[in-house]
Amino acid sequence: MATTEILRPPPPAPASVIEVGTGRDLVRPTQDRPSRRSRRVPRQVRRLVGPLLVLGLWQLVCSLGVFSSVEVASPLAVVDAGRQLWATGELQTNLLISLQRVAEGLVVGVAAGVVLAVISGLFHRGEDLVDPIIQAARSVPILGLVPLAIIWFGVGETPKVFLIALGCTFPVYINTFAAIRGVDSKLVEAGQTFGLRRWGLVRRVILPGALPGFLVGLRFALVSSWLIVVVAEVINAKSGIGYLINEAQSWNRTDIIMLGLAIYAVLGLVADAIVRLLERRLLTWRRGFTGS
Amino acid sequence: MTLTESRPGHPRSRQPAIIAHQVTRAFGDRPVLDGLDLSVDADEFVALLGRSGTGKSTLLRILGGLDPEYGGDVLVPAKRSVVFQESRLIPWQRVLPNVVLGLEPGPGGRSALARQGLDALEEVGLGDQARAWPVTLSGGEAQRVALARALVREPQLMLLDEPFGALDALTRARMHHLLQDLCARHRPAVLLVTHDVDEALLLADRAVVLVDGRISLDVAIDLERPRWRGDPGFVALRDRLMVELGVEEPRGPGGRSRGGVEGSAEP
Repeated sequence: MATTEILRPPPPAPASVIEVGTGRDLVRPTQDRPSRRSRRVPRQVRRLVGPLLVLGLWQLVCSLGVFSSVEVASPLAVVDAGRQLWATGELQTNLLISLQRVAEGLVVGVAAGVVLAVISGLFHRGEDLVDPIIQAARSVPILGLVPLAIIWFGVGETPKVFLIALGCTFPVYINTFAAIRGVDSKLVEAGQTFGLRRWGLVRRVILPGALPGFLVGLRFALVSSWLIVVVAEVINAKSGIGYLINEAQSWNRTDIIMLGLAIYAVLGLVADAIVRLLERRLLTWRRGFTGS
Repeated sequence: MTLTESRPGHPRSRQPAIIAHQVTRAFGDRPVLDGLDLSVDADEFVALLGRSGTGKSTLLRILGGLDPEYGGDVLVPAKRSVVFQESRLIPWQRVLPNVVLGLEPGPGGRSALARQGLDALEEVGLGDQARAWPVTLSGGEAQRVALARALVREPQLMLLDEPFGALDALTRARMHHLLQDLCARHRPAVLLVTHDVDEALLLADRAVVLVDGRISLDVAIDLERPRWRGDPGFVALRDRLMVELGVEEPRGPGGRSRGGVEGSAEP
Protein backbone atom coordinates (compact mmCIF):
# COMPACT_ATOMS: atom_id res chain seq x y z
CA MET A 1 0.00 0.00 0.00
CA ALA A 2 1.30 3.41 -0.91
CA THR A 3 1.27 5.92 1.88
CA THR A 4 0.77 8.91 -0.35
CA GLU A 5 -1.05 11.77 1.24
CA ILE A 6 -4.12 12.41 -0.80
CA LEU A 7 -6.33 15.32 0.05
CA ARG A 8 -10.08 15.21 -0.31
CA PRO A 9 -11.44 18.37 -1.91
CA PRO A 10 -13.25 20.54 0.60
CA PRO A 11 -16.93 19.95 1.34
CA PRO A 12 -19.21 17.78 -0.71
CA ALA A 13 -17.24 17.39 -3.93
CA PRO A 14 -18.23 14.51 -6.26
CA ALA A 15 -18.99 11.48 -4.13
CA SER A 16 -15.72 10.06 -2.89
CA VAL A 17 -16.28 6.39 -3.53
CA ILE A 18 -12.71 5.30 -4.17
CA GLU A 19 -10.71 4.65 -1.01
CA VAL A 20 -7.89 7.12 -0.52
CA GLY A 21 -4.63 5.27 -0.97
CA THR A 22 -5.95 2.87 -3.57
CA GLY A 23 -3.94 4.48 -6.35
CA ARG A 24 -0.36 5.68 -6.17
CA ASP A 25 0.20 9.40 -6.50
CA LEU A 26 -3.27 9.96 -7.82
CA VAL A 27 -5.29 13.03 -7.14
CA ARG A 28 -8.83 13.97 -8.08
CA PRO A 29 -8.88 16.06 -11.25
CA THR A 30 -10.38 19.15 -9.66
CA GLN A 31 -8.47 18.92 -6.41
CA ASP A 32 -6.26 21.97 -6.87
CA ARG A 33 -9.00 24.20 -8.13
CA PRO A 34 -10.45 26.59 -5.59
CA SER A 35 -13.93 25.54 -4.62
CA ARG A 36 -16.60 27.55 -6.39
CA ARG A 37 -18.55 27.80 -3.18
CA SER A 38 -16.01 30.10 -1.58
CA ARG A 39 -16.72 32.83 -4.14
CA ARG A 40 -19.94 34.13 -2.67
CA VAL A 41 -19.62 37.79 -3.73
CA PRO A 42 -21.64 38.44 -6.89
CA ARG A 43 -19.69 39.70 -9.86
CA GLN A 44 -21.55 43.03 -10.02
CA VAL A 45 -20.57 43.80 -6.46
CA ARG A 46 -16.96 42.80 -7.05
CA ARG A 47 -16.80 45.16 -10.02
CA LEU A 48 -17.73 48.04 -7.71
CA VAL A 49 -14.75 47.50 -5.44
CA GLY A 50 -12.23 49.30 -7.70
CA PRO A 51 -14.25 52.48 -8.27
CA LEU A 52 -15.18 52.64 -4.57
CA LEU A 53 -11.52 52.38 -3.59
CA VAL A 54 -10.68 55.28 -5.90
CA LEU A 55 -13.52 57.35 -4.43
CA GLY A 56 -12.34 56.63 -0.91
CA LEU A 57 -8.78 57.57 -1.75
CA TRP A 58 -9.95 60.74 -3.45
CA GLN A 59 -12.01 61.76 -0.41
CA LEU A 60 -9.09 60.95 1.89
CA VAL A 61 -6.64 63.06 -0.11
CA CYS A 62 -9.09 65.99 -0.12
CA SER A 63 -9.85 65.69 3.59
CA LEU A 64 -6.11 65.76 4.34
CA GLY A 65 -5.94 69.10 2.52
CA VAL A 66 -3.44 68.01 -0.16
CA PHE A 67 -5.29 70.14 -2.76
CA SER A 68 -7.24 73.34 -2.33
CA SER A 69 -10.99 73.08 -2.96
CA VAL A 70 -10.53 75.08 -6.18
CA GLU A 71 -8.01 72.59 -7.55
CA VAL A 72 -9.94 69.43 -6.70
CA ALA A 73 -13.39 69.09 -5.12
CA SER A 74 -13.89 66.14 -2.82
CA PRO A 75 -16.55 63.53 -3.62
CA LEU A 76 -18.66 64.81 -0.75
CA ALA A 77 -18.41 68.38 -2.07
CA VAL A 78 -19.52 67.15 -5.49
CA VAL A 79 -22.53 65.40 -3.97
CA ASP A 80 -23.33 68.56 -2.05
CA ALA A 81 -23.16 70.69 -5.21
CA GLY A 82 -25.51 68.24 -6.85
CA ARG A 83 -27.96 68.55 -4.00
CA GLN A 84 -27.91 72.36 -4.19
CA LEU A 85 -28.42 72.45 -7.94
CA TRP A 86 -31.19 69.89 -7.68
CA ALA A 87 -32.96 72.06 -5.09
CA THR A 88 -32.93 75.08 -7.38
CA GLY A 89 -34.06 72.90 -10.29
CA GLU A 90 -31.05 73.87 -12.43
CA LEU A 91 -29.68 70.35 -12.53
CA GLN A 92 -32.88 68.73 -13.82
CA THR A 93 -33.57 71.34 -16.53
CA ASN A 94 -30.04 71.30 -17.88
CA LEU A 95 -29.81 67.53 -17.71
CA LEU A 96 -33.06 67.15 -19.61
CA ILE A 97 -31.91 69.56 -22.29
CA SER A 98 -28.63 67.68 -22.78
CA LEU A 99 -30.49 64.38 -22.92
CA GLN A 100 -32.90 65.75 -25.47
CA ARG A 101 -30.09 66.97 -27.70
CA VAL A 102 -28.35 63.62 -27.54
CA ALA A 103 -31.59 61.75 -28.23
CA GLU A 104 -32.51 63.89 -31.22
CA GLY A 105 -29.02 63.72 -32.68
CA LEU A 106 -28.89 59.97 -32.15
CA VAL A 107 -32.21 59.32 -33.83
CA VAL A 108 -31.31 61.40 -36.88
CA GLY A 109 -27.72 60.15 -37.07
CA VAL A 110 -28.48 56.47 -36.56
CA ALA A 111 -31.30 56.59 -39.10
CA ALA A 112 -29.04 58.28 -41.65
CA GLY A 113 -26.23 55.81 -40.96
CA VAL A 114 -28.50 52.81 -41.42
CA VAL A 115 -30.11 54.12 -44.61
CA LEU A 116 -26.74 54.94 -46.16
CA ALA A 117 -25.27 51.60 -45.07
CA VAL A 118 -28.18 49.71 -46.62
CA ILE A 119 -27.80 51.64 -49.88
CA SER A 120 -24.06 50.99 -49.96
CA GLY A 121 -24.31 47.44 -48.70
CA LEU A 122 -26.96 46.17 -51.06
CA PHE A 123 -26.06 47.92 -54.29
CA HIS A 124 -22.64 48.23 -55.85
CA ARG A 125 -23.74 51.44 -57.55
CA GLY A 126 -24.89 52.74 -54.19
CA GLU A 127 -21.52 51.88 -52.71
CA ASP A 128 -19.71 53.69 -55.51
CA LEU A 129 -21.87 56.74 -54.92
CA VAL A 130 -22.07 56.87 -51.12
CA ASP A 131 -18.95 55.24 -49.76
CA PRO A 132 -16.30 57.69 -51.03
CA ILE A 133 -18.32 60.62 -49.71
CA ILE A 134 -18.66 59.07 -46.27
CA GLN A 135 -15.01 58.04 -46.15
CA ALA A 136 -13.93 61.58 -46.99
CA ALA A 137 -16.42 63.26 -44.66
CA ARG A 138 -15.50 61.00 -41.81
CA SER A 139 -11.87 62.11 -41.98
CA VAL A 140 -12.93 65.65 -41.05
CA PRO A 141 -12.83 66.06 -37.26
CA ILE A 142 -16.43 66.75 -36.27
CA LEU A 143 -15.42 69.34 -33.71
CA GLY A 144 -13.69 71.29 -36.45
CA LEU A 145 -17.13 71.79 -37.91
CA VAL A 146 -18.42 73.71 -34.90
CA PRO A 147 -17.74 77.20 -36.35
CA LEU A 148 -19.32 76.18 -39.65
CA ALA A 149 -22.36 74.74 -37.90
CA ILE A 150 -22.86 78.01 -36.03
CA ILE A 151 -22.68 80.02 -39.27
CA TRP A 152 -25.12 77.65 -40.97
CA PHE A 153 -27.62 77.09 -38.21
CA GLY A 154 -27.11 79.97 -35.75
CA VAL A 155 -26.91 79.39 -32.02
CA GLY A 156 -30.12 77.45 -31.37
CA GLU A 157 -30.64 73.74 -31.02
CA THR A 158 -30.08 72.90 -34.68
CA PRO A 159 -26.26 73.15 -34.83
CA LYS A 160 -25.91 70.92 -31.74
CA VAL A 161 -28.29 68.28 -33.01
CA PHE A 162 -26.64 68.50 -36.43
CA LEU A 163 -23.16 67.89 -35.03
CA ILE A 164 -24.32 64.99 -32.85
CA ALA A 165 -26.23 63.45 -35.75
CA LEU A 166 -23.19 63.74 -37.98
CA GLY A 167 -21.00 62.14 -35.34
CA CYS A 168 -23.42 59.23 -34.99
CA THR A 169 -23.86 58.63 -38.69
CA PHE A 170 -20.30 57.51 -39.36
CA PRO A 171 -19.83 54.72 -36.82
CA VAL A 172 -23.29 53.34 -37.58
CA TYR A 173 -22.61 53.50 -41.30
CA ILE A 174 -19.18 51.90 -41.18
CA ASN A 175 -20.16 49.00 -38.93
CA THR A 176 -23.53 48.29 -40.55
CA PHE A 177 -22.06 48.42 -44.04
CA ALA A 178 -19.27 46.00 -43.09
CA ALA A 179 -21.79 43.72 -41.39
CA ILE A 180 -24.09 43.64 -44.43
CA ARG A 181 -21.15 42.71 -46.62
CA GLY A 182 -20.06 40.18 -44.03
CA VAL A 183 -23.29 38.19 -44.04
CA ASP A 184 -22.43 34.61 -44.98
CA SER A 185 -22.94 34.29 -48.73
CA LYS A 186 -23.80 30.63 -48.18
CA LEU A 187 -26.88 31.67 -46.22
CA VAL A 188 -27.88 34.12 -48.94
CA GLU A 189 -27.47 31.31 -51.45
CA ALA A 190 -29.57 28.95 -49.34
CA GLY A 191 -32.26 31.62 -49.10
CA GLN A 192 -32.23 31.96 -52.88
CA THR A 193 -32.56 28.22 -53.42
CA PHE A 194 -35.55 28.11 -51.15
CA GLY A 195 -37.41 30.79 -53.01
CA LEU A 196 -36.62 34.03 -51.19
CA ARG A 197 -36.77 36.94 -53.60
CA ARG A 198 -34.66 40.05 -53.25
CA TRP A 199 -36.77 41.80 -50.61
CA GLY A 200 -37.25 38.55 -48.71
CA LEU A 201 -33.49 37.99 -48.65
CA VAL A 202 -32.91 41.52 -47.37
CA ARG A 203 -35.57 41.23 -44.68
CA ARG A 204 -35.04 37.65 -43.52
CA VAL A 205 -31.34 37.06 -44.11
CA ILE A 206 -29.22 40.13 -44.77
CA LEU A 207 -30.53 42.73 -42.32
CA PRO A 208 -30.89 40.36 -39.35
CA GLY A 209 -27.42 39.08 -40.15
CA ALA A 210 -26.07 42.62 -40.03
CA LEU A 211 -27.72 43.36 -36.68
CA PRO A 212 -24.68 42.49 -34.51
CA GLY A 213 -22.53 44.87 -36.53
CA PHE A 214 -25.17 47.58 -36.31
CA LEU A 215 -25.22 47.27 -32.52
CA VAL A 216 -21.45 47.71 -32.38
CA GLY A 217 -21.90 50.85 -34.46
CA LEU A 218 -24.64 52.03 -32.12
CA ARG A 219 -22.29 51.73 -29.16
CA PHE A 220 -19.65 53.86 -30.85
CA ALA A 221 -22.37 56.33 -31.82
CA LEU A 222 -23.46 56.69 -28.19
CA VAL A 223 -19.91 57.43 -27.13
CA SER A 224 -19.41 60.08 -29.79
CA SER A 225 -22.82 61.65 -29.12
CA TRP A 226 -21.82 62.39 -25.51
CA LEU A 227 -18.42 63.62 -26.63
CA ILE A 228 -19.95 66.05 -29.08
CA VAL A 229 -22.69 67.31 -26.80
CA VAL A 230 -20.10 68.30 -24.18
CA VAL A 231 -18.06 70.31 -26.63
CA ALA A 232 -21.06 71.87 -28.33
CA GLU A 233 -22.50 72.95 -25.00
CA VAL A 234 -19.23 74.30 -23.66
CA ILE A 235 -18.53 76.39 -26.73
CA ASN A 236 -21.92 77.68 -27.53
CA ALA A 237 -24.95 77.22 -25.33
CA LYS A 238 -27.21 78.81 -22.77
CA SER A 239 -28.29 75.51 -21.27
CA GLY A 240 -27.24 71.92 -20.79
CA ILE A 241 -24.70 70.18 -18.63
CA GLY A 242 -21.86 71.59 -20.70
CA TYR A 243 -23.16 75.10 -20.12
CA LEU A 244 -23.35 74.41 -16.40
CA ILE A 245 -19.70 73.33 -16.44
CA ASN A 246 -18.65 76.39 -18.42
CA GLU A 247 -20.46 78.73 -16.05
CA ALA A 248 -18.92 77.03 -13.05
CA GLN A 249 -15.48 77.68 -14.49
CA SER A 250 -16.03 81.45 -14.34
CA TRP A 251 -16.89 81.17 -10.65
CA ASN A 252 -14.10 78.70 -9.81
CA ARG A 253 -16.76 76.17 -8.76
CA THR A 254 -14.69 73.02 -9.22
CA ASP A 255 -17.35 71.01 -7.41
CA ILE A 256 -19.93 71.82 -10.12
CA ILE A 257 -17.45 71.11 -12.91
CA MET A 258 -16.71 67.72 -11.44
CA LEU A 259 -20.41 67.10 -10.89
CA GLY A 260 -21.00 67.71 -14.60
CA LEU A 261 -18.21 65.31 -15.51
CA ALA A 262 -19.60 62.70 -13.14
CA ILE A 263 -23.02 63.04 -14.75
CA TYR A 264 -21.52 62.51 -18.21
CA ALA A 265 -19.76 59.41 -16.94
CA VAL A 266 -22.93 57.98 -15.40
CA LEU A 267 -24.99 58.72 -18.51
CA GLY A 268 -22.34 57.04 -20.66
CA LEU A 269 -22.51 53.94 -18.49
CA VAL A 270 -26.31 53.91 -18.59
CA ALA A 271 -26.32 54.22 -22.38
CA ASP A 272 -23.87 51.35 -22.66
CA ALA A 273 -25.98 49.21 -20.35
CA ILE A 274 -29.04 49.90 -22.51
CA VAL A 275 -27.24 48.75 -25.65
CA ARG A 276 -26.04 45.65 -23.86
CA LEU A 277 -29.61 44.89 -22.84
CA LEU A 278 -30.66 45.40 -26.46
CA GLU A 279 -27.96 43.00 -27.59
CA ARG A 280 -29.12 40.39 -25.13
CA ARG A 281 -32.70 40.72 -26.31
CA LEU A 282 -32.02 40.89 -30.04
CA LEU A 283 -29.20 38.38 -30.31
CA THR A 284 -30.67 35.50 -28.30
CA TRP A 285 -30.10 33.20 -31.24
CA ARG A 286 -26.35 33.45 -30.72
CA ARG A 287 -26.45 31.79 -27.35
CA GLY A 288 -29.36 29.65 -28.29
CA PHE A 289 -31.69 30.67 -25.48
CA THR A 290 -35.15 29.36 -26.26
CA GLY A 291 -36.80 31.55 -23.66
CA SER A 292 -39.09 30.01 -21.11
CA MET B 1 -37.02 25.81 -67.12
CA THR B 2 -40.01 23.60 -66.43
CA LEU B 3 -40.12 20.17 -67.89
CA THR B 4 -43.10 19.14 -69.96
CA GLU B 5 -46.00 17.75 -68.00
CA SER B 6 -46.54 14.01 -67.99
CA ARG B 7 -48.66 12.75 -70.86
CA PRO B 8 -51.26 10.10 -70.22
CA GLY B 9 -50.05 6.64 -71.09
CA HIS B 10 -46.44 7.35 -70.23
CA PRO B 11 -45.22 5.47 -67.20
CA ARG B 12 -44.12 7.97 -64.56
CA SER B 13 -40.68 6.46 -64.26
CA ARG B 14 -39.81 7.34 -67.86
CA GLN B 15 -40.48 10.97 -67.21
CA PRO B 16 -37.20 12.88 -67.06
CA ALA B 17 -36.26 14.96 -64.04
CA ILE B 18 -32.89 16.17 -65.30
CA ILE B 19 -31.77 16.60 -68.88
CA ALA B 20 -28.29 18.06 -69.20
CA HIS B 21 -26.88 18.38 -72.67
CA GLN B 22 -23.26 19.26 -73.45
CA VAL B 23 -22.84 21.30 -70.29
CA THR B 24 -19.65 23.30 -69.99
CA ARG B 25 -18.36 25.49 -67.22
CA ALA B 26 -14.93 27.05 -66.84
CA PHE B 27 -13.38 29.05 -64.04
CA GLY B 28 -10.94 31.37 -65.72
CA ASP B 29 -8.95 29.22 -68.15
CA ARG B 30 -9.68 26.01 -66.29
CA PRO B 31 -12.56 24.02 -67.75
CA VAL B 32 -14.37 22.12 -65.01
CA LEU B 33 -17.29 20.71 -66.93
CA ASP B 34 -16.49 19.87 -70.51
CA GLY B 35 -19.42 18.72 -72.60
CA LEU B 36 -21.22 16.78 -69.90
CA ASP B 37 -24.37 14.79 -70.72
CA LEU B 38 -26.63 13.47 -68.00
CA SER B 39 -30.25 12.50 -67.73
CA VAL B 40 -32.08 11.38 -64.63
CA ASP B 41 -35.59 9.96 -64.58
CA ALA B 42 -38.31 11.00 -62.19
CA ASP B 43 -38.13 8.96 -58.96
CA GLU B 44 -34.66 7.75 -59.86
CA PHE B 45 -31.91 8.00 -57.24
CA VAL B 46 -28.57 8.76 -58.89
CA ALA B 47 -25.25 9.08 -57.10
CA LEU B 48 -22.69 11.37 -58.68
CA LEU B 49 -19.18 10.28 -57.75
CA GLY B 50 -15.90 11.95 -58.41
CA ARG B 51 -12.67 12.94 -56.80
CA SER B 52 -12.53 16.35 -55.18
CA GLY B 53 -12.16 19.17 -57.65
CA THR B 54 -13.77 17.26 -60.52
CA GLY B 55 -16.77 19.56 -60.70
CA LYS B 56 -19.42 17.56 -58.82
CA SER B 57 -20.54 20.55 -56.83
CA THR B 58 -20.27 22.79 -59.86
CA LEU B 59 -22.76 20.61 -61.71
CA LEU B 60 -25.05 20.52 -58.72
CA ARG B 61 -24.98 24.30 -58.40
CA ILE B 62 -25.89 24.62 -62.07
CA LEU B 63 -28.79 22.21 -61.65
CA GLY B 64 -29.89 24.05 -58.51
CA GLY B 65 -30.03 27.37 -60.35
CA LEU B 66 -27.20 28.89 -58.32
CA ASP B 67 -24.82 29.30 -61.23
CA PRO B 68 -26.08 30.93 -64.43
CA GLU B 69 -22.64 31.04 -66.08
CA TYR B 70 -22.72 27.68 -67.83
CA GLY B 71 -22.71 26.61 -71.46
CA GLY B 72 -24.91 23.95 -73.03
CA ASP B 73 -28.53 23.26 -72.16
CA VAL B 74 -30.11 22.11 -68.92
CA LEU B 75 -33.70 21.26 -67.99
CA VAL B 76 -34.81 20.64 -64.42
CA PRO B 77 -38.21 20.66 -62.68
CA ALA B 78 -39.43 23.95 -61.25
CA LYS B 79 -39.97 22.30 -57.86
CA ARG B 80 -36.55 21.30 -56.64
CA SER B 81 -34.61 21.71 -53.46
CA VAL B 82 -31.06 21.44 -52.26
CA VAL B 83 -29.40 20.03 -49.16
CA PHE B 84 -25.87 21.31 -48.73
CA GLN B 85 -22.96 19.82 -46.84
CA GLU B 86 -23.43 22.38 -44.09
CA SER B 87 -27.01 22.67 -42.98
CA ARG B 88 -27.11 26.38 -43.90
CA LEU B 89 -29.92 27.07 -41.49
CA ILE B 90 -30.52 30.76 -40.86
CA PRO B 91 -29.09 31.17 -37.33
CA TRP B 92 -31.44 33.98 -36.31
CA GLN B 93 -34.59 32.08 -37.16
CA ARG B 94 -35.92 29.23 -35.10
CA VAL B 95 -36.16 25.78 -36.59
CA LEU B 96 -39.74 25.95 -37.88
CA PRO B 97 -39.37 29.26 -39.77
CA ASN B 98 -36.20 27.81 -41.25
CA VAL B 99 -38.12 24.82 -42.56
CA VAL B 100 -40.81 26.94 -44.24
CA LEU B 101 -38.31 29.61 -45.35
CA GLY B 102 -39.39 31.29 -48.55
CA LEU B 103 -42.74 29.49 -48.77
CA GLU B 104 -45.82 31.63 -49.31
CA PRO B 105 -48.80 30.81 -47.10
CA GLY B 106 -51.37 28.97 -49.20
CA PRO B 107 -55.18 29.09 -48.93
CA GLY B 108 -54.96 27.75 -45.38
CA GLY B 109 -52.93 30.76 -44.27
CA ARG B 110 -49.97 30.85 -41.92
CA SER B 111 -51.23 28.16 -39.59
CA ALA B 112 -51.56 25.68 -42.44
CA LEU B 113 -48.01 26.49 -43.51
CA ALA B 114 -46.78 25.99 -39.96
CA ARG B 115 -48.66 22.67 -39.84
CA GLN B 116 -46.88 21.60 -43.04
CA GLY B 117 -43.53 22.56 -41.57
CA LEU B 118 -44.27 20.68 -38.35
CA ASP B 119 -45.28 17.60 -40.32
CA ALA B 120 -41.96 17.70 -42.16
CA LEU B 121 -40.13 18.05 -38.85
CA GLU B 122 -42.08 15.10 -37.43
CA GLU B 123 -40.99 13.08 -40.43
CA VAL B 124 -37.33 13.63 -39.66
CA GLY B 125 -38.00 12.99 -35.98
CA LEU B 126 -37.57 16.57 -34.77
CA GLY B 127 -41.16 17.63 -34.10
CA ASP B 128 -40.20 18.75 -30.61
CA GLN B 129 -37.44 21.07 -31.83
CA ALA B 130 -39.65 23.45 -33.81
CA ARG B 131 -38.93 26.37 -31.49
CA ALA B 132 -35.23 25.65 -30.96
CA TRP B 133 -32.50 27.92 -32.27
CA PRO B 134 -30.28 26.28 -34.90
CA VAL B 135 -27.17 26.87 -32.79
CA THR B 136 -28.49 24.41 -30.18
CA LEU B 137 -28.78 21.52 -32.66
CA SER B 138 -26.16 18.83 -33.17
CA GLY B 139 -24.68 18.34 -36.65
CA GLY B 140 -26.98 15.43 -37.39
CA GLU B 141 -30.06 17.28 -36.14
CA ALA B 142 -29.21 20.32 -38.23
CA GLN B 143 -28.94 18.13 -41.33
CA ARG B 144 -32.29 16.55 -40.51
CA VAL B 145 -33.82 20.03 -40.34
CA ALA B 146 -32.19 20.77 -43.70
CA LEU B 147 -33.80 17.58 -45.06
CA ALA B 148 -37.17 18.67 -43.67
CA ARG B 149 -36.69 22.08 -45.29
CA ALA B 150 -36.03 20.37 -48.62
CA LEU B 151 -38.95 17.92 -48.29
CA VAL B 152 -41.62 20.37 -47.20
CA ARG B 153 -41.46 21.85 -50.70
CA GLU B 154 -42.52 18.46 -52.13
CA PRO B 155 -39.75 18.66 -54.70
CA GLN B 156 -39.70 16.69 -57.92
CA LEU B 157 -35.93 16.82 -57.71
CA MET B 158 -33.72 16.77 -54.62
CA LEU B 159 -30.12 17.83 -55.05
CA LEU B 160 -27.91 16.60 -52.23
CA ASP B 161 -24.39 18.03 -52.07
CA GLU B 162 -22.43 15.68 -49.80
CA PRO B 163 -25.13 16.15 -47.17
CA PHE B 164 -23.61 13.67 -44.72
CA GLY B 165 -19.97 14.47 -45.40
CA ALA B 166 -19.48 16.37 -42.16
CA LEU B 167 -21.24 13.83 -39.92
CA ASP B 168 -19.67 11.09 -37.83
CA ALA B 169 -20.00 7.51 -39.06
CA LEU B 170 -22.81 6.48 -36.71
CA THR B 171 -24.91 9.54 -37.41
CA ARG B 172 -24.27 9.08 -41.12
CA ALA B 173 -25.57 5.51 -41.02
CA ARG B 174 -28.75 6.71 -39.29
CA MET B 175 -29.15 9.48 -41.87
CA HIS B 176 -28.85 6.92 -44.67
CA HIS B 177 -31.82 5.01 -43.27
CA LEU B 178 -33.81 8.19 -42.81
CA LEU B 179 -33.08 9.34 -46.35
CA GLN B 180 -34.13 5.97 -47.79
CA ASP B 181 -37.40 6.09 -45.85
CA LEU B 182 -38.11 9.63 -46.96
CA CYS B 183 -37.35 8.87 -50.60
CA ALA B 184 -39.52 5.77 -50.53
CA ARG B 185 -42.41 7.88 -49.28
CA HIS B 186 -42.03 11.00 -51.42
CA ARG B 187 -40.42 9.52 -54.53
CA PRO B 188 -38.53 12.58 -55.75
CA ALA B 189 -35.74 12.23 -58.27
CA VAL B 190 -32.49 12.48 -56.30
CA LEU B 191 -29.02 13.48 -57.38
CA LEU B 192 -26.61 12.74 -54.55
CA VAL B 193 -23.14 14.19 -54.88
CA THR B 194 -20.70 12.18 -52.82
CA HIS B 195 -17.13 10.95 -52.73
CA ASP B 196 -18.13 7.99 -50.60
CA VAL B 197 -18.51 4.93 -52.85
CA ASP B 198 -20.21 2.89 -50.13
CA GLU B 199 -22.75 5.63 -49.56
CA ALA B 200 -23.54 5.66 -53.26
CA LEU B 201 -23.91 1.88 -53.37
CA LEU B 202 -26.10 1.78 -50.27
CA LEU B 203 -28.54 4.41 -51.48
CA ALA B 204 -28.62 4.89 -55.24
CA ASP B 205 -30.28 3.15 -58.20
CA ARG B 206 -27.50 4.30 -60.48
CA ALA B 207 -23.98 5.62 -60.06
CA VAL B 208 -22.27 7.99 -62.44
CA VAL B 209 -18.61 8.94 -62.19
CA LEU B 210 -17.36 12.35 -63.19
CA VAL B 211 -13.84 12.45 -64.63
CA ASP B 212 -12.30 15.33 -66.57
CA GLY B 213 -15.56 17.22 -66.81
CA ARG B 214 -17.61 14.38 -68.27
CA ILE B 215 -19.47 11.30 -67.13
CA SER B 216 -16.92 8.53 -67.59
CA LEU B 217 -18.95 5.68 -66.13
CA ASP B 218 -22.68 5.22 -65.81
CA VAL B 219 -23.66 2.02 -64.04
CA ALA B 220 -26.96 0.70 -62.70
CA ILE B 221 -26.87 -0.60 -59.12
CA ASP B 222 -29.17 -3.61 -59.32
CA LEU B 223 -28.72 -4.78 -55.78
CA GLU B 224 -31.56 -5.91 -53.58
CA ARG B 225 -32.51 -3.69 -50.69
CA PRO B 226 -31.71 -3.52 -47.87
CA ARG B 227 -28.15 -3.56 -49.06
CA TRP B 228 -25.20 -5.08 -47.31
CA ARG B 229 -21.59 -4.00 -47.67
CA GLY B 230 -20.43 -7.64 -47.74
CA ASP B 231 -22.71 -8.66 -50.59
CA PRO B 232 -20.56 -9.95 -53.50
CA GLY B 233 -22.38 -7.76 -55.99
CA PHE B 234 -21.75 -4.78 -53.72
CA VAL B 235 -18.05 -5.60 -53.47
CA ALA B 236 -17.72 -6.04 -57.22
CA LEU B 237 -19.36 -2.72 -57.92
CA ARG B 238 -17.26 -1.01 -55.29
CA ASP B 239 -14.09 -2.33 -56.89
CA ARG B 240 -15.21 -1.17 -60.28
CA LEU B 241 -16.07 2.32 -59.06
CA MET B 242 -12.85 2.57 -57.08
CA VAL B 243 -10.82 1.76 -60.17
CA GLU B 244 -12.78 4.34 -62.13
CA LEU B 245 -12.01 6.89 -59.43
CA GLY B 246 -8.32 6.00 -59.68
CA VAL B 247 -8.03 4.20 -56.35
CA GLU B 248 -6.40 0.75 -56.39
CA GLU B 249 -7.48 -1.10 -53.27
CA PRO B 250 -4.93 -3.39 -51.67
CA ARG B 251 -5.81 -7.03 -52.17
CA GLY B 252 -6.12 -9.38 -49.23
CA PRO B 253 -3.91 -12.46 -49.02
CA GLY B 254 -4.44 -14.53 -52.14
CA GLY B 255 -6.26 -11.66 -53.78
CA ARG B 256 -9.95 -11.01 -53.83
CA SER B 257 -11.69 -12.05 -57.00
CA ARG B 258 -14.19 -9.61 -58.37
CA GLY B 259 -17.65 -10.76 -57.47
CA GLY B 260 -16.14 -13.38 -55.22
CA VAL B 261 -18.00 -14.54 -52.15
CA GLU B 262 -15.29 -13.79 -49.60
CA GLY B 263 -15.59 -10.00 -49.78
CA SER B 264 -15.24 -8.27 -46.45
CA ALA B 265 -17.96 -6.07 -45.05
CA GLU B 266 -15.75 -3.03 -44.65
CA PRO B 267 -13.40 -1.45 -47.14
